[in-house]
Amino acid sequence: MNVFRHLTAGLKELVRRDKTERELSEELNAYLHNAADAKVQAGATPEEALRSARLELGGMEAVKYEVRAVGWEFALEVLMQDIRYGVRMLRKSPLITAVAVTAIAIGIGANTAIFSLVDAILLRPLPYPESQRLIVGGTQQRGGSGMDLMGTADFLAWRDHQQSFEEVAVLDQASRSFALSGMGAPERIPGVRVSANFFSIFGVAPLKGRGFQPGEDRPGTPGVVVISEQFWRDHVGSDPEVLNRALTLDGKLHTIVGVMPAGFRFPSRRPVDVWAIHTLNPPTARPPYGLVGLGRLKPGVNIREAAAELNDIAAQVTAQYPSSPDLVGVMMPMKEWMISNVSTALLVLLGAIALVLLIVVVNVANLLLARATVRQREVAVRMALGASRKRVVRQLLTESAVLSLLGGVIGLLLAYIAVRAFLAFGPGQMPRLEEVGINSGVLLFTFVVCVGSGILFGLAPALETSRPSLIEPLKDTNRSSSSASAYRTHRALLVFEVALALIVMIGSGLLVRSFVRLSDVSPGIQTDHVITAAISLPNKYADPPQITQFWQQFLEKVQTLPGVKAAGITMSLPPNLLAITNPFRVEGQDYDRNHPLQLAEEMTVSPGYFRSLGIPLMKGRFFSPSDKVESIKDPMIVIINETMAKQHFGSKDPVGFRIQTGDPDPSSPWETIVGVVGDVKYSGLDSGPGPTLYVPYNENGWAMWAREMYLVVRSNGSAPGIVPAIRTQLESMDSTIPLAQIRTMDELLDESLVQQRFRTWLVSGFAALALLLSAIGIYGLISYSVSQRTREIGVRIALGAQGSNVLGLVLRDVLQVLAFGLLLGLVGALSATRIMRSLLYSTSATDALSFVVPSFTLIAVALLACYVPARRATKVDPMVALRYE
Amino acid sequence: MTDKNTSLVQGTLDMLILKTLALEPMHAHGIGVRIEQISKGVFQVNPGSLFPAFKRLERAGWLDSEWRATENNRRGKYYVLTASGRKQLKSETRDWKTQSVAIARILEA
Repeated sequence: MNVFRHLTAGLKELVRRDKTERELSEELNAYLHNAADAKVQAGATPEEALRSARLELGGMEAVKYEVRAVGWEFALEVLMQDIRYGVRMLRKSPLITAVAVTAIAIGIGANTAIFSLVDAILLRPLPYPESQRLIVGGTQQRGGSGMDLMGTADFLAWRDHQQSFEEVAVLDQASRSFALSGMGAPERIPGVRVSANFFSIFGVAPLKGRGFQPGEDRPGTPGVVVISEQFWRDHVGSDPEVLNRALTLDGKLHTIVGVMPAGFRFPSRRPVDVWAIHTLNPPTARPPYGLVGLGRLKPGVNIREAAAELNDIAAQVTAQYPSSPDLVGVMMPMKEWMISNVSTALLVLLGAIALVLLIVVVNVANLLLARATVRQREVAVRMALGASRKRVVRQLLTESAVLSLLGGVIGLLLAYIAVRAFLAFGPGQMPRLEEVGINSGVLLFTFVVCVGSGILFGLAPALETSRPSLIEPLKDTNRSSSSASAYRTHRALLVFEVALALIVMIGSGLLVRSFVRLSDVSPGIQTDHVITAAISLPNKYADPPQITQFWQQFLEKVQTLPGVKAAGITMSLPPNLLAITNPFRVEGQDYDRNHPLQLAEEMTVSPGYFRSLGIPLMKGRFFSPSDKVESIKDPMIVIINETMAKQHFGSKDPVGFRIQTGDPDPSSPWETIVGVVGDVKYSGLDSGPGPTLYVPYNENGWAMWAREMYLVVRSNGSAPGIVPAIRTQLESMDSTIPLAQIRTMDELLDESLVQQRFRTWLVSGFAALALLLSAIGIYGLISYSVSQRTREIGVRIALGAQGSNVLGLVLRDVLQVLAFGLLLGLVGALSATRIMRSLLYSTSATDALSFVVPSFTLIAVALLACYVPARRATKVDPMVALRYE
Repeated sequence: MTDKNTSLVQGTLDMLILKTLALEPMHAHGIGVRIEQISKGVFQVNPGSLFPAFKRLERAGWLDSEWRATENNRRGKYYVLTASGRKQLKSETRDWKTQSVAIARILEA
């Protein structure tokens, strides 16, 4: 109740300030007269009495001030006063204010933009209820690292025997999109296959209808799908009767049973429009391993217990399939799984932009310092009249806070634009992008950063200006008071600024070097004039002969098109679209159960594939259409790559030797090596060399895998020019199959580097900004120093100093600042860049060139920045300089 | 700035004001005179500390104020002790007595 009374009384006085003021004056006057009357009664004259009473009171205004200071509303009044005064002062020096506000706006805006990314992607929990209980699970060979996918056998065992989870489900990692037909032109839409309990794990209620129900993933049940709200709007026209409508995906009919709301696009690395049911066929063997396990832990169960349980279950499955490797269970929280590949990069970006903001703060501090010396007289007068240092500092800090809040508001606007631009044009492959936006957490961050920077850059000038010694500033001279300590602070801040700028520049240098090296990596193919596309055969191509026949005919047709040099199909596309890996053993090698299996990148291809991509033949031969491989009695053939040849055969010719692939099984069919080709990158340009196996797509046992393939065509002329012809051929064979993901090989290479390119450009942008700010800072320092020392320089010149002497005098400061700044920066960079190691390709975090070039650039730019003021110093006319005292 | 060099600590001044007003409502000058009178001149209250004290006590709810006609037909602001003010006076008096007994004991030990 007390608080309430305080509040209302204060508000009343705020509103009726005049009335309160008048009453207080009246009361004090009454006091005065009463006191005077008493003295008169004691024998003094009326004038003496009044005078003595006044002296006792001690100054009407002072007493009024003390009375007013009792109420809480007084602090508010003082704040408003300080703000008004601050704004007036800022308007008096519009150029400095404008520069400062711009710098702050850029610094805060950039930080807010990056922070909104970090907040949405790294910090905030996933947008599902109790998301910390969501887990992703997989298997891994004993002794291996990381998490690999699990197989159907493992999942079924896990699902039926686990006790730690409320629900478990799987997602088919290989399913990225479906061919949609029957709704206008055939097209590919992003989608995944998931098992029945998928939706209940997330706890997100569908917009319409339902998720999948247990049992719908059994073989033989009709296909069901759930669509996204986006898809519902775009493709079904938000039809309220959408449930139970039919959809044809990959040639099979599915029924729509639900619509998920707009926020749910899991897995959001590629926002999904369609979730189709993944049928769990009873496994005949442990592989293939293509499923991502998902689950919601029961309350109170922790992830380690769950992982241990999966271990035990996996061991049982190993016992069931004795020829399979010994697998262990691996689990990680779902959020970690989603963000692991971008967290380092984002944190590095945040670190870099924070450094830039610090540089901005230092620059603004120096700006204010320079202006502060101009205001010293005003402040000295105020302090002489009785203002406490605390009061003056508080007012100056309020001024800085106004400056930084102004900059912050503009910065927020810039950040909003930047985030929108990033979402529209940036690298789209980051997870959780749909959650990015400027929300209350980001606003709070901006506010804190604003106030923090305001205090940081305002403190030095405020303390400097309000020094207790008032004599110098009040002396009546025109000579601008050379505050030595202000200059020292200015210089120290500049050293810090140079160091920070150098750190950001070195970081950018490392990224640039790494990126250049990466983009120079040869993918092992000839990338010019090559067009690629994805083709997916619907379910009506149900057995190997149908599949093989389709491809044979199609490839023949395409190869005869004018302008086509070579054509082929493949399961995996360079540089980074690898589909599967497979373990293998070379004949004569011993198999040790306890060591992790060696894996090769394996893919099925048509004979024309190698020629289409210009992959060189080193030994032996390519596949040929006359190879007989389709029947189970035909010998299996395989082509290996150079790395595998070197690793397992040394200098011997591998052609003719045999290998086995798949899970270790002594009775596996032997495959004969018929050729060796050059290395090609399938796992990204930054992947190391490894063994690669090629098999004919129509080889026995592999044909069923050839339903989803990439087409590669080498053309004589422009690659995109032959696309219409190819499309016509495809349509003539089967009009329900779309030609999807049409890109040239050059485009594919570009796309694989999108993330790295974006990072490099962004940090280089920061570095350029940092360099510019430092140059401005140095220019400011030297101009200031020269203007302060004009008299001194005039005297020196009058006494015979040459231009070079003056130059040396002026530059000595800069060189000192540069020396210390570079030293500090180099040391800082050595420790800071260690964090970036995982982002660098074949470049050490202490790469010499990346340290040396930015250092010299900084020195050169700094010297350039001094040029004008330094020259001005040499041109000082001693007569003019000495004339004005 | 005004010196707060009254020989009275702020808390003690509050208590004395409350006590003075326990007898009858008074205006500022009257309170100062009364305190000086009753303490036989030991405490001479500085008006610079009186007026902020009044506002403090009013905000705390222990005093009320009203404008009345004074002896010389002028308007004066009179302060009145409220019920909670009376309670506060009692508790402060009790605390003060406990403290002074303890201090006396220490000084004579």
